Amino acid sequence: MSKNIGYPLDLKMNHYADVSYDEKERLFEEVKADERYHHMLYGCYECGICVASCPSAKFYDFSPRVIAQALAREDVDLIYTLMEDSIWDCSQCFSCDRCPRGNSPGQLITIMREVAVRNGLASAKKALEGYGRIIYKIMSTGSQVSPDMLQPNAFPDWGVHVNEIAENLELWRKALPPETLHTTETGWTVSDKTIIELYLIWHMTGVMDLIEGIDEGLFMILVDVMEERLEDAGYDITFD
Amino acid sequence: MGYAKVNECIIPTDLHIAVKDNTWVRVNEDGTVTVGMTDVAQSLAGPILHAKSKSPGTARKKGRPIATVESGKWVGPIKSPVSGEIVEVNEELAANPRLLNTSPYRKGWVVKMKPDNLDADLADLQIGDEAVEAYRKKIEEENIPACSHIEGTEDYE
Repeated sequence: MSKNIGYPLDLKMNHYADVSYDEKERLFEEVKADERYHHMLYGCYECGICVASCPSAKFYDFSPRVIAQALAREDVDLIYTLMEDSIWDCSQCFSCDRCPRGNSPGQLITIMREVAVRNGLASAKKALEGYGRIIYKIMSTGSQVSPDMLQPNAFPDWGVHVNEIAENLELWRKALPPETLHTTETGWTVSDKTIIELYLIWHMTGVMDLIEGIDEGLFMILVDVMEERLEDAGYDITFD
Repeated sequence: MGYAKVNECIIPTDLHIAVKDNTWVRVNEDGTVTVGMTDVAQSLAGPILHAKSKSPGTARKKGRPIATVESGKWVGPIKSPVSGEIVEVNEELAANPRLLNTSPYRKGWVVKMKPDNLDADLADLQIGDEAVEAYRKKIEEENIPACSHIEGTEDYE
């Protein structure tokens, strides 16, 4: 039987745990309570302009109109289904902002994603899985892409010279005039002051609590790095 | 040096295995233990790009990270299966982290530790058929794909 028969949004159903209606309602209330919410949703007359402009709709089983409709109808079950699935297909380009009614399905999705992350929904964990390395790099070192990521076997499309560069990476980096770029493990020299300040910001703003809810392993290795460095800088902070 | 194959994953029957955390423990004659990650772990992670162990002298409680492993698609801790002090790290892993992929039970060992309370910690791990069965169950329940050895693998025998 063709997979396309039936309600399109059910295609990926049952890949996540169902929860009680009360829980779905609680999540929706959290979305609605966001102060941006009421500036993003004014009602929909199904003109389809958002879908026509949406790059994700061209490639995925995704429709920004469904987002606006489900929220406007307060369809709690469907909203939960969308939060566990569809909202992660949006590329957040905000092309749908051209809605003649002033809706912004893309920005509604931003709010829904934030609620999904805050509540540790399975879809959020899955969607963010592939970003673990990037988050680890940024949060532990303060810079994202580092020269030593230039692994010849990871980037065969970069051609034969990548081998030569990877082998003499330190030397190549030293050829760059600014001394702050003589690094291989980070994109540039990150000063102690900067990194300590970043750690303190993430600690105080609850970012670490968010990460703990999404990826316990990532949390564990970040805390390990941060606590040690904070201690060296004279801060007595524990994250657990 | 026996082993079983579950879903193409090599599960040695002579090592103490923390099935939940995908790690193993080998008890050495000098009272230390060698710790590493399992074939299942290397397969799930994919080709490993960086492996950074904590330094010798670091005391670790069971369940805390003894190393951070990065692959193209994953970063995470290797959680210590025992409490104790790290006495030696596998220096070769820094230069050649793929040893974790090709030889997870031998050349790809991660650290040696002096355990605080080995008997109690080992009681929480599984060995032999028990470990194999526990892994079989985990692989089924968590729908873990068959182990791949795209970097090659050494024969455990």
